[in-house]
Amino acid sequence: MTRRTFLASGASALAAAPRAPGFRLADVTARAGIEFRHNSGAFGLKYLPETMGPGCAFIDYDGDGWLDILISNGMDWPGHKKQRTTPRLYRNNRDGTFTDVTREAGLAIEIYGMGVAVADYDNDGWPDILFTGVGQNRLFKNTGKGHFIDVTEKAGLGGRSAFSTSAFWFDYDRDGLLDLFVCNYVRWSPEHDVFCSVDGKHKSYCTPEAYRGSTCWLFRNRGNGTFEDVTAKSGVFDASSKSLGVALIDYDRDGWPDIVVANDTQPNKLYRNARNGTFEEVAVRAGLAFSEDGKARAGMGIDVADFQNSGVQGIAITNFDNEMMALYQGGAAGSYADIAIKSGVGQLSRTSLGFGCVFFDADLDGRLDLVAANGHIDATVRNIRSNVGYAQPPHMFLNEGGGMFRDVAREVGAEFSTPKVARGVACGDFDRDGDVDVLVTTNQGPAYLYRNDVSNGNRAIRFKLTGLKSNRDAIGSVVRVFTPDGAQLRMVKTGSSYLSQSELAVTFGLGRRESADRVVIEWPSGRTDEFKGLRAGSYECVEGQAPKS
Amino acid sequence: MSLRLLAGLAVTLSAVVVYSGYTIVQMRSLRQLQDDIIDRNRKDSLLLLRIQNNLNGLANAMRDMLDASEPYPLTAWRSQFLRIRVDLEDAVDRERKFAPASRTADQARYLASSMAQYWDALDRIFELAGRDEAEARTRIKISLQARQDALTTAVARLLVQNNESEEQAAAEIQRIYARVERNVYVFLAAILLVVAFTSAYLLQYNRRVFDEVTALSDRRSELAQQLISMQESTFASISRELHDEFGQILTGVGAMLQRLHRKADPADTRLRADLREVHEIVQATLEKVRTLSQALHPVMLDEVGLESAMDHYLPGFEKRTGIAIQYEKSGESVPVDRELAIHLYRVMQEALNNVARHSKSRRADVRLSFEPRSLTLEVEDEGIGFKEGSGKGMGLISMRERAEMMKGKVEFLRGRSGGTLVRLTVPLRMEEAHA
Repeated sequence: MTRRTFLASGASALAAAPRAPGFRLADVTARAGIEFRHNSGAFGLKYLPETMGPGCAFIDYDGDGWLDILISNGMDWPGHKKQRTTPRLYRNNRDGTFTDVTREAGLAIEIYGMGVAVADYDNDGWPDILFTGVGQNRLFKNTGKGHFIDVTEKAGLGGRSAFSTSAFWFDYDRDGLLDLFVCNYVRWSPEHDVFCSVDGKHKSYCTPEAYRGSTCWLFRNRGNGTFEDVTAKSGVFDASSKSLGVALIDYDRDGWPDIVVANDTQPNKLYRNARNGTFEEVAVRAGLAFSEDGKARAGMGIDVADFQNSGVQGIAITNFDNEMMALYQGGAAGSYADIAIKSGVGQLSRTSLGFGCVFFDADLDGRLDLVAANGHIDATVRNIRSNVGYAQPPHMFLNEGGGMFRDVAREVGAEFSTPKVARGVACGDFDRDGDVDVLVTTNQGPAYLYRNDVSNGNRAIRFKLTGLKSNRDAIGSVVRVFTPDGAQLRMVKTGSSYLSQSELAVTFGLGRRESADRVVIEWPSGRTDEFKGLRAGSYECVEGQAPKS
Repeated sequence: MSLRLLAGLAVTLSAVVVYSGYTIVQMRSLRQLQDDIIDRNRKDSLLLLRIQNNLNGLANAMRDMLDASEPYPLTAWRSQFLRIRVDLEDAVDRERKFAPASRTADQARYLASSMAQYWDALDRIFELAGRDEAEARTRIKISLQARQDALTTAVARLLVQNNESEEQAAAEIQRIYARVERNVYVFLAAILLVVAFTSAYLLQYNRRVFDEVTALSDRRSELAQQLISMQESTFASISRELHDEFGQILTGVGAMLQRLHRKADPADTRLRADLREVHEIVQATLEKVRTLSQALHPVMLDEVGLESAMDHYLPGFEKRTGIAIQYEKSGESVPVDRELAIHLYRVMQEALNNVARHSKSRRADVRLSFEPRSLTLEVEDEGIGFKEGSGKGMGLISMRERAEMMKGKVEFLRGRSGGTLVRLTVPLRMEEAHA
C-alpha cells in the first residue's frame, strides 16, 4: 500500500464514520448538591406503586429566572414506618449549585407521590404545584414568598383517592384559565393488593392486567381558585383506562388543545377537543390506539413534538421491553404511522422498558432529538429474559434528519449511559447557557442532573412566554421560528414525559446561524405576534408586546 | 446409441415437466383452499375475537356502572359505551364480509338484531338514568346484562363454527398433501427406473467399446511380437549363413593363401608381400563377417546361454563405447530358456545402446538378479535421465513388446543418481506365466 492509498483509505473511513454528537451530558449531580434518594416504601410485599415512581420537574418557583428542581418522592407504607421522606425542592444558587429548600417552601409533606405538574393556575405570576400519587393528590399554591400552601381541599380536589400518575395543566376551553388533567392508573389500594408471582411461590410486582382500570380526571378551572370535575361532562370518562403518560397536542391543528394519553396494556387514547367543552376519542381512527399488529402495548411515557420540522406534531411513546418505543409520524389526514422501526428507534429500544421521554434539541442543530429513560420494574427480569436487565442505559436518540435517529447515549457521556432503574425525565436550561440540560429520576435510587455542554458551536434562541389574555404561562402557545433552513415549531406545554415536567420556555437550535429570520407566536387567546430578525439568545415575550432579551 | 440416449433424456424431461405441472395444479388448489377457507376463516375468527373483546368491554363497563365505585352519574359511562360501540360496529361490519359460507341467514340475522336491540336498550337506559338512576341500574341488571350474555354466546357459537370449518379444511389439506406425497413417490420410482435403464445401457455400451479397444491392442501387440519373432529368426538365419557359408569360404581362401605363400619363391619378395597382404584382407573380412554374424544373432546364446553371452558382450561394449560397465549378478542362476534369453539379451543391448546414445553417462550398472520364480535385469546409468515424452521411440516400444512376450514387465525409472534405470522383470518359467 502506498502512502497515497493509505491516506485515501483513511480519509474515506473518516467520511463514512458517523459524525460526533457535538455535545456532552456531564453528570453534575454531586457538584450541584442534589442529594436525593427515592423512597418507594418497599418492605417486601411488593406493592404495585413501589416500582412506578418518581417524577421530577424544572420549576422557577422564586421567579428569579433560574430553574429550580422539584422531585417527587414516596414514603413508607402505613404500619412499616422507618423513615420520613418527602418531595424535595432545590433552589438554584445561580452558580451551578442548589440548596434544598423543601422545608422552607412548605413542601416537607409526606405523600406517596408519583408525578408533579407545575403551572400558574391562578395567573398570579407564581408557579403552583400539583403532586399526584397513591391516595389523595395535593395542590400547592405558590405564595410568591418562597412558600407554598396546600389548597387541595379549598380548590375542590379533596376527597378523592386514586393511584394517580402523570398530570398536566392546559386551557382546554381557552378561557385564559388553566384546567387540570390527571391520569389514573389502576384501582389499587394496600388493603386490596393482589398476589402475583412469576415462580408460583414468591410474590412479584403485578402487571396492570391484575387490576381494574381507572378513569382519568379533567378539572375545569372556575377562575376563583376552585375546580369543577368535568370528567363525565367532557366525555373523557373511561373506567377501562390504565393511564401513565399524558401530553398536550393540537392533533387537528385547529388551535384547540387536544389530549393524548399513553395507557398501559390498554389502547392509547386521543381526545380531540370538540371546542364545546367536550372531547371525542379518536385514537383508533388516528392509528394511535394499538401497535401496528393490533396489540395494546404497555404505554408509559409520552411526548409530542414536530420532530420532522414538517409543521405536524409527532408522538413518541415508551413501552415495555420487547415492544419497542412507538414513534408516530403525523399525516395530513389526521392519521399517524408508527415509523419506529424505519427510523431506527424501534430496533434500538427493543430490549428497553422505557418510562420518561422528552423531545429536545440536544445539539442545537435545529432538529429535535429524543431522550428516553429506561429501567425494568422487576429486579429478577434477567432470570426470565436474558437479554433484558433491571437497570438499563437511557437512550439519547440523535435526530439525523430524514426521519432517522441514532442512539448516542454512550458517546455523550459514560455517566449518562450507565444503566439505571430510571423513571422520570425533565429538560430545562438550569445553567442559562442556552442549551437544554437533563434531569433523571430513578426508582429507589438517586436523581441525576446532567449538564449539557454543546461543543459544536451551534446557537440557540429561547423564548419564555407570558400570557395576558391567554393563561399567564401561555400553555398551548405555538411558537414557530423561520430560518433559511426551514421552520421549526414548539408548543408551550406541561405534562409529557412520565410523571415529570420540563421547563415552560421553548428552545430552538439555530445551528451556526446567528439569528432567526422570523418568529411567529400563536397565543391560546387567538392572538398572533410576529417578530423579525431576532438574534440568538433568550427572550421574554409578553402577549402582544415586543420580545425582551 | 445417441438416439436412444436422447430418447431417454426426452422421456425423463417430459416426466419432470408433467410432474411439475401436476404439482403446480395441486399447489394452486391448495392455495385456493387456503384463501377460500382458512384465511377467510382466520380473518373472520380474529374479527369475532375483536367483537368478543368489545363485548367483554361492555360487560366490564356495566359491572363498573353497577358497583357505584365512581363518584359520577350513570350517564358518565355514555362516552365509554359510545367508544366501544364505534369499534364494535366497525368489527361487525368487517366480520360480515368474511363470514364463512357455512353461516346461515338466521345466524346473521340473529346477531344483527341482537346487537341492534342491545344498543336500543342501552340508549333507553341512559335516557332513563337521567330521570331515575336506580331504575336504570335495575334495568341493566335484569335486561342489559342478559342481552350482553346472549350476544357473547352467539359470537362464541360462531367461533366454534369457524373452528369446525377450519378443521374440515385442514383435513382436506391433509388429503391433498397425502395425494401429492404419494405421487412424489411414484414419480421418484419412475425417474429411478429410467435412470437405471439408461445407466445399464451406458454400462453395456462402454464395456463393448472397451472390449474392442482391448482386442485392437492385442492385435497390435501380436503383430509387433510376430514382427520381432520374424526379425529374430531372419537375423538368426542370416547370421548362420554368414558364419557357416562365408566364414567357411573365407577360411578356405585364407588357408589357400597361406599355402601359396609357403610355395612361393622366397626370392620373389614382391609376390610374397602381395600374398600376405591379400591374406590379411581375407582375415579382416572373416573377422567382420563373424562380428556381423554375432551382432545379428549371438550364437553364444544358443551355445553357452545368457550369462556367458552377457559376459562376452559387455567387455566388447565397453571397448566400443568407452563406457565403463559394472556388472553384477545375484541369486542362484538357473538356465534360461532360449527364447527368453534372446529377448533379455536384446533388451539389455537396447538399454545399453540408449545409454551410449542419449545418457551422456560415462558409466553404467548392469544387474542380473535371479529370484526363485523370476529374473530381474536392471540397466542403470548416471546420465541426464529419462525425459518426458521420450518413451515413444522404437527401441522402447520394442523393449515393452519383448517384455510382454515374456509375460513380464519393463519399467523406466529414475535412477539413484538421477540417471535412467531400466528394470525388466520376467517370470522364469514360461509355463508358469502362461498358467
